[in-house]
Amino acid sequence: MRIIVGRNSAWAKAVLVFVLVFVGNSEGRAQTKASEKDWLAVVEAAKKEGKVVVAGSPDPVMRNEVIPKFTARFGIPVEFVAGRSSQIVSRVETERASGIFSIDVFLAGPDTSANELYNDKMIDPLKPLLIMPEVADGSKWKNGKVWFADPQEQFVVRAFSSVATLLFINTDHVKPDELRGMKDLLNPKWRGKISTEDPTATGAGSNKAARFYLQVGEEFVKNLYIDQKSVRTRERRQMTDWLARGTQPICLDCREDDVRPLVKDGFKVLEIFDMTGAAPTINGSPWMLSLANKAPHPKAAQVFANWILAKEGLETYARGYGSATLRTDVDESFLNPGNIPKKGVKYFDDTDWKWIVGGRHENREKVWKLLKAAK
Amino acid sequence: MDSTTATTLPRWRRLRPRPIRVAEFSFLIFLAVAMGLPLLFLLTGSFNLSAPGKPALYGLDNWIRAFTDGGTLSALGMSFLLSVVRLVPAMILSVLFAWLIARTDMPGGKFIEAICWIAYFVPDFPLVLAWILLLDPNFGVLNGVAKSLPGVDGAIFNPYGFWGIVWVHTSTGGIWFKVILLVPVFRRLGATLEEAARVAGANTTTMLWRITLPVLAPMILAVSVLSFIRGLQSFNTELLLGTPAGIYVYSTKIYDFLQREPRAYGEATALGSVFLLVLAVLLFFYWKFLRGGKKFTVVTGQGYSTLKVKLGKWRHVACAGCLLYVAVTMLLPLTFLVIGSFMRRYGFFNIASPFTLNHWHNMLSDPIFLIALKNSLIIASATAVGGVLLYSALAYLLVSRRTITAPLLESLCWIPHVLPGILLSLGVLWLFLATPLRFFLYGSVWGIAVALILADSPVTTQAFKAGLLQLGADLEESARVSGASWSYTYRRVLLPLLAPIAAAVGLMNFGSALTSISTPVLLYSHQSRPLAILLLEYSFTGELERAAALGLLITVIIAVMMLVGRKLGLQLAGSE
Repeated sequence: MRIIVGRNSAWAKAVLVFVLVFVGNSEGRAQTKASEKDWLAVVEAAKKEGKVVVAGSPDPVMRNEVIPKFTARFGIPVEFVAGRSSQIVSRVETERASGIFSIDVFLAGPDTSANELYNDKMIDPLKPLLIMPEVADGSKWKNGKVWFADPQEQFVVRAFSSVATLLFINTDHVKPDELRGMKDLLNPKWRGKISTEDPTATGAGSNKAARFYLQVGEEFVKNLYIDQKSVRTRERRQMTDWLARGTQPICLDCREDDVRPLVKDGFKVLEIFDMTGAAPTINGSPWMLSLANKAPHPKAAQVFANWILAKEGLETYARGYGSATLRTDVDESFLNPGNIPKKGVKYFDDTDWKWIVGGRHENREKVWKLLKAAK
Repeated sequence: MDSTTATTLPRWRRLRPRPIRVAEFSFLIFLAVAMGLPLLFLLTGSFNLSAPGKPALYGLDNWIRAFTDGGTLSALGMSFLLSVVRLVPAMILSVLFAWLIARTDMPGGKFIEAICWIAYFVPDFPLVLAWILLLDPNFGVLNGVAKSLPGVDGAIFNPYGFWGIVWVHTSTGGIWFKVILLVPVFRRLGATLEEAARVAGANTTTMLWRITLPVLAPMILAVSVLSFIRGLQSFNTELLLGTPAGIYVYSTKIYDFLQREPRAYGEATALGSVFLLVLAVLLFFYWKFLRGGKKFTVVTGQGYSTLKVKLGKWRHVACAGCLLYVAVTMLLPLTFLVIGSFMRRYGFFNIASPFTLNHWHNMLSDPIFLIALKNSLIIASATAVGGVLLYSALAYLLVSRRTITAPLLESLCWIPHVLPGILLSLGVLWLFLATPLRFFLYGSVWGIAVALILADSPVTTQAFKAGLLQLGADLEESARVSGASWSYTYRRVLLPLLAPIAAAVGLMNFGSALTSISTPVLLYSHQSRPLAILLLEYSFTGELERAAALGLLITVIIAVMMLVGRKLGLQLAGSE
């Protein structure tokens, strides 16, 4: 009996495993089929809405590559409202005060997403709307799931996480060995040779200065921005040209997508990600995704949001912009290896929600106070 | 006489409102709504301390924060200093240019005037970069040339600093705008007074100083006020050339508040209010001057001659001087701009195969380019025609001396000139959205055109006003006595005399509408996106070369329109 039972038990286990696997797979297939069916229904409904209105930065990748691909894929035209985040938000708020809701999707920077769109309750939960199978599938994401950056983990999706550039150097004028640690930047040899986006204004320059203030300290910030006579500008092209010509061969705030053409043109420009004395940094550039509430084309917005988070959408953006995505299936061979976060390394997250809504502001205010006092 | 007439009129005629009063109050209501309301929205908003979408809470905190922010007062001082230093030589040069072009027999006057038009509309951002390429102490072409001269050791030019900003302003926007506005009124100046001065023994300098300038004072003063306030608001050149040298101006502070997240429109409006104060002071003196019992009439029905002053042997010297100035301040950087639009990287001649047609090709093949071009042409045409019709009528009312609300009307039409563009755009956005206008105008090309017409009110009104002040009342009166209706008089007498001014301001508004970014930036939609917004997008993403190509294309469109417009204006004026 025991044996039989045992045998039965073994058989039962085998049957149970078979049933579980089979039924489980069937359920999985059925769920996949169901979600595919739901997805196709959403796509059909979206087509009937006729268009989707996306607001974001005036970005050539968006205009020249992402929009044509999306429209080719779904036959849904995209109206792209491009502008500075602050201008777009002003416009949307004013429209809303008059009962007009014109925007469906926001592709905004972390500051705008956290401090304005989320804080002013202009967006809807996005999590339940992510139903495209390859988006909903946790195995396709490096974190095991889509990363919602907001405290409720519902509204704002972070789709990128790249190692941020610490600075660029022109190696005709600065040898990499000369800049091993943050303190090397204070060498009198580099006085007047470092360019920065104006740290006294809101933007990349003051964001970086705020991070230095937190990580390296007040004295370092004072020495770097004042004693070293770092040359300030508000025009990013000016910094990139200075870097290329070597007039200011160390650039704190040049953008990777601006510098890439210089490298193609043979300029000896090197991107530095890490120096001793400051933790390496990751960020969520170029945008964070959210859906407007009371959107005029909700289904089309849902389709766009799902597609931009799918392999095709994110890879198109990543190739154009040079950022590492959070998807596991996006080819990263085109990226500078330095841009890809390494396992086991502790990074400072410049797009961390708490840092965006609090820490950065506090440290930026301290930097401004310091720079104004020194003036 | 009037009372007698009034008592003998039938009751219904006495009660019927006079057409001029109807026109006056219609304008007053229009201007109060179109100019006053946006300002009121902004001022009220500047006292609101609540976050957007939250119940309003009023206080002075925004104002206190704006004016106690470090560096605000020193930036204001720097703006005043720069504006004054730029204004004085630029006004002297502009008056001289306008006089030489319009009132003397200097050869090539029309060509130089045409160059002024083109120069005014060349986009300033790549032009400033061109000056950097020429003057930079490390790689500037002119410094390179200078260093090869004997006795010169090191750079002698440096664009980064106070005098660099003054020089580049003189080149990019300095005198062109002023010459464009001054030439038509100089042209209308009858030679009778000058001839009388000559008979009395005055030489050319005395005549210019004692006759020409005082008679043209209304326009010269108006242009000075416009330029001074424009100078205070100037921004792009200071950002590129001032920031590296640690020079900050007042408009930079306003810009900073506008860029903050969350936005600080309250603080920006508080700072912008200083412009209102400056304008009030300047207008007070301007009106006081005009009311001093002076007369500025130069075109009357009693003989009118436009004979030009003969410069003799100096005519070629004057022409050479003007051409040299134009060549140095405009053609030199413009050449760099044209070359830049064909370069793979603007200003980098030492890279492999530095020249390319890609930027032009990419721009022309951009799918939204043709839509944006069409939108821009509609917006610019509507702005030009609408502005001329509206503000010529307003100016007529202002100089007719029959209105009882002239100071109020005039103050209202100056408002757009003192509001930073983005704040004006926000105010107009509020106006559109808070009224039924939103159903017709919001997001459409017509809405953008209306906003631009509003923005053009100070320049257009002042230009027409100065032109009308030159016309003697006897012209209109004699036409009326001869039995002509008001409309016939307007068409056959006033319009031909005003045609050069109408053509000038119409073209100027056309060009401004093509290049204006801050006014349409909050008002455009996907369907109504104009070329200027495309230009903004190229600049924003660092596509400087494509921006240069688009800027040049806009300049070419304006140049073509200028030739057509001038021809039309001169034909209407009966000069050709």
